[in-house]
Amino acid sequence: MVDQLLIAGVSFGRNCIGIVLHPYEAYRRIVREGSLYELIYITSLLIFYFALASVVKVAAFRPFLLTRQFIVLVSAVVATYCVVICLLWLVGQKMGGKGTLRGVAIAWGYTLVPTVLWFFVTSLLYVVLPPPRTTSLAGIALSALFLAFSATLFLWKLMLGYLALRFGLKLDLARILVVVAVVGPVVGIYSYGMYQLGIFKVPFV
Amino acid sequence: MVDALYQKFVERWEEVTDIPPQTLGPLTPLYKRAARYLKIMPWPFLVVGAGFLVLGMYLLFGSAITLLVSLLQRGF
Repeated sequence: MVDQLLIAGVSFGRNCIGIVLHPYEAYRRIVREGSLYELIYITSLLIFYFALASVVKVAAFRPFLLTRQFIVLVSAVVATYCVVICLLWLVGQKMGGKGTLRGVAIAWGYTLVPTVLWFFVTSLLYVVLPPPRTTSLAGIALSALFLAFSATLFLWKLMLGYLALRFGLKLDLARILVVVAVVGPVVGIYSYGMYQLGIFKVPFV
Repeated sequence: MVDALYQKFVERWEEVTDIPPQTLGPLTPLYKRAARYLKIMPWPFLVVGAGFLVLGMYLLFGSAITLLVSLLQRGF
């Protein structure tokens, strides 16, 4: 098991570089050769972020509150991940998808990399340059820069999501759009529920 | 050696034919042209696309984008 973890660690590092530099080829490899142990490394990345986010959100060294916040965040993300994977798998199968659940799960796991990156940078920016932004020239310039950064990561996320469905479920674009049209509103309602519960204002999908 | 080469060819062939080809009717050539730029090092196009998006938002909403950013910054 240790050697499988080590091999998965090397694969995780290589795939992270791959999804940045050549995402198409990287996703082919992820779906074909990916190991479920790689999800452990993705989970570790998420846990590191949630530990940081708990400290920033609670803004006080109160162990009980920090632990509670951390557990709520981790549970919510695991639940969201499972819901999204199940929905994509079920709807994808109905649309004639031919992949494996393992492939979809690992491929979707890697789409969380841009998500955690955006949340991480936003958390840091919250500490370094807390809101609100002003309508001065500097405020508008910083706002434009932040929006450009957010839009870039969002487009990257969309691209990785498309590749996850393309290679994970072996669907073409038309069927992928149908899957997104069905799964999107359900995830939207779920995200609204998360917002109402005060867990995530921006959905961690 | 010929067998190993042939085996590699068969594996690559199966890998390529495993996925149905992407067709969008009359938009297929446009799609294939766009996809070629996004397959390897898509970042210049993602950044330029994001830049145009932000420019469009600024032209549409003006300085109200600061309000959106204030909301997003609290969104984590």
